[in-house]
Amino acid sequence: MPNNTNETLLRVEHLCQFFGPVKAVNDVSFDIKRGEVFGLVGESGCGKTTTGRSIIRIYNITSGSIYFKGQRICAGTLSYENAIREARKALRAATSPEEKERLRKTIEENRAAIRSAKHDHKHSDEDYAKGLVAHLEKERDEALAKAGADAVAIRKEYAEKIRIAKKTRLITNIQMIFQDPVASLNPRMTVREIIAEGLIIQGVRDQKYIDEKVYEILELVGLTRDHAGRYPHEFSGGQKQRIGIARSVIMQPDMLIADEPVSALDVSIQAQVINLLGDLRDRLGLTILFIAHDLSVVKYFSDRIGVMYYGEMVELATSDELFAHPLHPYTRSLLSSIPLPDPRTEKKRTRITYNRLAEHDYSVDKPSLREVAPGHFVQCNDAEFARYQAKLKEQA
Amino acid sequence: MKDNILEVKRLKIAFRTQAGTLKAVRDISFDLQRGRTLAIVGESGSGKSVTSRAVMGILAGNSIVEGGEIFYDGKDLLRIAEEDMQKIRGDKISMIFQDPLSSLNPIVKIGKQITEAMLLKSKTGRRESARAYKKLLALLRKTAHEANAAQPERIDSLFDTFAAFCTEGTKLEDAYNNASVHAQELAAMIDDFLFKAEKKQNLDVRQTLRDYASRLRRTKDPLLTADCDSDLNALEAELDKAASGAGKATAEKLVPGEIIALLRRTRALLETINTKPRPDFMAIGYARTKHPGETLTPAQAAQALDGEFMSEFLPLLDKAVQFSMGRSISAKKALLPRLREAQKWYASDFARKEGLSRAKSLTKEVESSIDRLEVVKDSAAYAFGSSLTGAIERYFSCKERNPREEARFARQNARRERLIARGRNVTWKVVPANVYDLDDLRGNIITVVERLADRYEADVENAANEDIRARTNALVNALRADSSQMVARLTKRMARERAIKLMEEVGIHEPRQRFYQYPFEFSGGMRQRIVIAIALAADPDILICDEPTTALDVTIQAQILELINRLKAERNFSVIFITHDLGVVANMADDIAVMYAGKIVEYGTADDIFYDPRHPYTWALLSSMPDLDTKEKLEAIPGTPPNMIYPPKGDAFADRNRYAMQIDFEQQPPMFRVSETHTAATWLLHPDAPKVEVPKVITDRIARMRAKEANQEGGAAHAE
Repeated sequence: MPNNTNETLLRVEHLCQFFGPVKAVNDVSFDIKRGEVFGLVGESGCGKTTTGRSIIRIYNITSGSIYFKGQRICAGTLSYENAIREARKALRAATSPEEKERLRKTIEENRAAIRSAKHDHKHSDEDYAKGLVAHLEKERDEALAKAGADAVAIRKEYAEKIRIAKKTRLITNIQMIFQDPVASLNPRMTVREIIAEGLIIQGVRDQKYIDEKVYEILELVGLTRDHAGRYPHEFSGGQKQRIGIARSVIMQPDMLIADEPVSALDVSIQAQVINLLGDLRDRLGLTILFIAHDLSVVKYFSDRIGVMYYGEMVELATSDELFAHPLHPYTRSLLSSIPLPDPRTEKKRTRITYNRLAEHDYSVDKPSLREVAPGHFVQCNDAEFARYQAKLKEQA
Repeated sequence: MKDNILEVKRLKIAFRTQAGTLKAVRDISFDLQRGRTLAIVGESGSGKSVTSRAVMGILAGNSIVEGGEIFYDGKDLLRIAEEDMQKIRGDKISMIFQDPLSSLNPIVKIGKQITEAMLLKSKTGRRESARAYKKLLALLRKTAHEANAAQPERIDSLFDTFAAFCTEGTKLEDAYNNASVHAQELAAMIDDFLFKAEKKQNLDVRQTLRDYASRLRRTKDPLLTADCDSDLNALEAELDKAASGAGKATAEKLVPGEIIALLRRTRALLETINTKPRPDFMAIGYARTKHPGETLTPAQAAQALDGEFMSEFLPLLDKAVQFSMGRSISAKKALLPRLREAQKWYASDFARKEGLSRAKSLTKEVESSIDRLEVVKDSAAYAFGSSLTGAIERYFSCKERNPREEARFARQNARRERLIARGRNVTWKVVPANVYDLDDLRGNIITVVERLADRYEADVENAANEDIRARTNALVNALRADSSQMVARLTKRMARERAIKLMEEVGIHEPRQRFYQYPFEFSGGMRQRIVIAIALAADPDILICDEPTTALDVTIQAQILELINRLKAERNFSVIFITHDLGVVANMADDIAVMYAGKIVEYGTADDIFYDPRHPYTWALLSSMPDLDTKEKLEAIPGTPPNMIYPPKGDAFADRNRYAMQIDFEQQPPMFRVSETHTAATWLLHPDAPKVEVPKVITDRIARMRAKEANQEGGAAHAE
């Protein structure tokens, strides 16, 4: 496995995404390491797609932070606002001057946090671009100091680079592949235009460079150069999905968010696309957030899997561990309903049903995501925590 | 073999398109047995959806049925009038579509859409069963007279008695149904009231309780509530008393607890009434007419009916059935040489007029040879006339059209070439000539005759082993079902209650509120569930599921598959299940047909296909899907399916097949028989073919599956 360092590429902290009263994602946290495939599963409407979309800022998140390569790219303010509200309430009731002083300080701190969150959310790309430009300028100055005669050529080369760097955004290092290949390609653009669009927006003007790049990517995803001049309707479903993948890979991203990339495809084509994603991951060192509801595919493709239920992460473990020792009752119910290509066991299979209210008693002790075994997190409260640990010990 | 509810014979369907004729289904045949599930597996474009749409009679406008028959209940579904098809579609055969968006009416509330079929069916069902009942009884009587001419008075008296007590039984059943309708409706109303009370809505308690008391009075029926009449009376009095003290309930002033408790008790009593088994009305009718004044228990009544009447009546019917069958068999025997001769004659060159007149006379004879007292209709004989004339007409119309089409193609092509020769820029293409294979069409004619002849031969051979008593019993049961269907009743409120129950079963929460919503208020998965509820509401004989759960997630998918399996077991209907998910197939299917490029390439039971696959395409399908133990790289099927406008000459899968041999590119493989239930169309099964190893992925998986099973059995034995 390439790039198997322990660097955390993406960190999601207490992500909340509310749409009015609907809590689509509620306090979800996880890390994705560089070079790993992180699977996200759950029933439809559990918020897995929303999580993916929040990460690339299709939505403005309500609360929490998302860090990419150590830099905060998304931030929400609701948690700080709530903290201010609480503090104000306490302030009105408070009597001692030290107490009042402390509360005023809290409010001030949270206000600063809101300001910084708003800044990061809005300007993280600019900050990133500024960093790049500064880096390039430094490089240029060093090169200029060394070289004497061809200073003009160097200046010209770096001017172009800096111009592009100014337009570069951090967020383009995360790219998305959509579920429906038909709906996500503009029918009035040729494949060349579709794939090159990202480069053009980034400010690349060199037509020859763009064409070369497009051909290279087309061959990378298993299509040919002749396909560049055609329109999407001339392709089959699997080929359209390949075009969607080419479009995202041309930006040389560090990370791909694949939102149900094979659900809309035919059986025989699904395997082709999964193999392609696997190849790309090996060759380009991609990190992939793989969102799907087909559990056999997720199990096959992912290193770690997070299980979501009604906007919350209920279990998170490596894929082997999750399938071998599922702890949360919802995970067990989910695993029990996977259809397997074996008629004899399949006809005898009993499904476990999950009823949240009947399974847990959270009236007193509220649950949180806790590490039951190394790398194996389950949403539970104290009593359940002890029970799960006992169970794991028994199974081992 | 006799219990085939649907038979598809040599079906061929093509689509006329701009680029030429697309051969979507190329000569497929299968039988669907009652109470079994047939899964059709294949990629998109393999013709699986087209086949199911042909069964439903909803093919697209540009489709051409090039040949074949679909037999259902003595009819050929490809050749019946649209009015007749409408009676079958949605009622006898219903379908769950892939795309829920396009199969719901956006401006009708979903409740109405679910109950529509139920209500329509109950109305027409009553009328039709009355007709069927009268017809069958008259036919039986006539045949009985013919069978034993010696004692006409005795036969008449027996039949008169039978008709009399059946009528009496029907009357009793009608009264019983009326009371039962009231009981069910009242239960539904109380459910509604309790629901509203829980939601703190405004309610007129006094009025409602009065109404309930009067309704409770009407649920009384000697057969339904004989044992709990006193309880009913007590509850009625309590309701009346409670009503006089009650007023209106609002959000501030809730319904008092004692009234809720009273209603709960009433509801519980109604539940016991509603879940009572239905009595045998025929027996009770008999007891009432023959032993008036005596009170017999249901068991005694049934005994009296069997001992006193049926012991005489059944042998009489046996004789009639025997006679009718004998007559039919001798007619078939006489007809056989004529059919064989016709088979030869149609193979020779013949004129259209002659062919048609011959078909007409043959049809007449075939119709007279049909045994009308058979409950399971022999579709091939019933639909013989329409199939034969259809095939002949088609042959001659294509014969006429072919030269015209060729001439058009030559003319347009010449014009195009002329223009090109002149140096013009020609952008248009010539639509290829749509020429039909005349030999093939003539083959269709011969198959129709040959199939009937083969079937008659088998009938004549098996005549001696027929179980006459079983046939008689089936007839009596048919009469019984018809007479009870005559008075079956379904009100709107009952339909609504059933719909709500069904909605709950397919996993829709708060169905009582959702019943009154429009399709746009539901998410995609919810809409799919409603489509499933609609298809199940009509209580069909055949349910066609076209990728019903592909858009749903695993938990709901498992839930819905369980529901379909459970209803199938309860109501004994048959299912055609179309999907590309092999896990789902393993769960659902009894039999599996693997389709590729418009042909069935492998057919067998679920065990055959999963434990002993023989066709390379089946191997490819099985190995391209990961299961939970897959670690190695997936074996994707290279390439894409062939363009069916120009179907390949040999095996359609040859281009993508690692195991293809020279002959695969030249000649289509026939269906090789692997076992009694298992057939596959691949040259690899030919005795002269080289031995090929099944891919390791599959052998490994099968070994794993067997080990798992042995493990489970071992575990089970251990546990015991």
